[in-house]
Amino acid sequence: MKGFIIPVLLIILAPFIGGLVHGLERIVRARMQRRIGPPLLQPFYDFLKLAGKRKMIVHSAHAFLGIMHFVSLWFALALLLLGGDLILVIFLHLLSTSLLILAGYSTRSIFSHLGANRTAISILAYEPVLIILAVSFYLVTGSFETAAVFNYDKPLLLEMPLAFVALLLILPVKLKKSPFDVAEAHQEITGGTEIEFSGIFYEAVYTAKWLDYVFCYTLVYLFAGNNILLGAALILFTFIYVNALDNSSARVNYKQMLRFSLAVAFSLAFLNLILNIVI
Amino acid sequence: MKLAVYRKKSPWILHYNAGGCNGCDIEILACLGPKYDIERFGMINSGNPKQSDILLVTGPVTKRSRERLVEVYAQMPEPKVVVSCGACACTGGVFRGMYNCEGGIDQYIPVDVYVCGCGSRPEQIIDGVIKALDILERKTLELEVSVRLKKVPVEENGQVNRREVAAKIIHTQHTYE
Repeated sequence: MKGFIIPVLLIILAPFIGGLVHGLERIVRARMQRRIGPPLLQPFYDFLKLAGKRKMIVHSAHAFLGIMHFVSLWFALALLLLGGDLILVIFLHLLSTSLLILAGYSTRSIFSHLGANRTAISILAYEPVLIILAVSFYLVTGSFETAAVFNYDKPLLLEMPLAFVALLLILPVKLKKSPFDVAEAHQEITGGTEIEFSGIFYEAVYTAKWLDYVFCYTLVYLFAGNNILLGAALILFTFIYVNALDNSSARVNYKQMLRFSLAVAFSLAFLNLILNIVI
Repeated sequence: MKLAVYRKKSPWILHYNAGGCNGCDIEILACLGPKYDIERFGMINSGNPKQSDILLVTGPVTKRSRERLVEVYAQMPEPKVVVSCGACACTGGVFRGMYNCEGGIDQYIPVDVYVCGCGSRPEQIIDGVIKALDILERKTLELEVSVRLKKVPVEENGQVNRREVAAKIIHTQHTYE
């Protein structure tokens, strides 16, 4: 990702790329269940349809928080792609998620409250691992800035393989995929925090999910250093892994999720950190 | 850009069981399965009234479920269509005239498409939903007033006269507002 044009293009096109990833994901999921599945552009059809629906808002702060969730997530993604400070990127992402949690708590719907509770718990599950990952990146490349990672001439995957495994283990939590999709849980609490949004305000939350795809796959790309081919292979592998896991596993409850990610993923990341310090 | 074209391409379904026997519900879920796969038309069973376009109702309206039926209908943002699915939801079916049921959902909310059958087959349900999509494309964003539970339906000899109920409902709607 040398130069300036490619990151800026990626940032501007991020919602479109994320939408295409979401469409592809729906097709892959359908094919895994021996169905045909929707067309590739289905998320955009949903987007245009939701734009034409009547807006029903609970109260103005709720709708505003939903839009700010989208804006701050896009900002975090922009900072990540432009080579900003990784710690700052992670905390900006945390900020955007906490705006959604605030929106969830601001309504009177019990499902919204449950979703907000569970989103807060899933932050507890993935955030420590991400921080440890950022420190590991610092130890290897000598800088917290992602620009240093994008220009690092050796693949980081070989220097910190355990950290990559830890990232793979927390990605389902972050992308809200089975078995760790307690925060969204469509059959159980019908979307959690997003339940009270409608019309164009739901669109903001729906599009923010597409941005989250781009964000997560960029985090995966960081492990390739400046090797674009390896990065593409890693992204492809992660896409297949996340979808296969999503289709083949049932939802666990939040305690099991928390226990797993703190006991296994966090320890793996921490072990990796110690190895990076020693070697 | 005409956004109404895209309503046909991504109808999100809200499924509500107003006290039926689950026969029609199983057929609706069969539509989502590999054999009929209505997701290829972009339909998903969203389960959230605030983001749905089509209300699929099954079952005769029991007296317990009628408030919820009207509430769910009122929570859906326009444009929206209602498909009554199965004989019970259309007319009351075998439960018609029983002490705990009403005769069909159209006593309480306006219905756009009636799908017959007990239970209605998945092909029929898909056909009904596709017909509902044509209606959905023509609808506007204007508020559709649901018939609130302010009046008890007229009964004669234990049987509900639906034609009179409809006339009465239109009357009460105007006087209520």
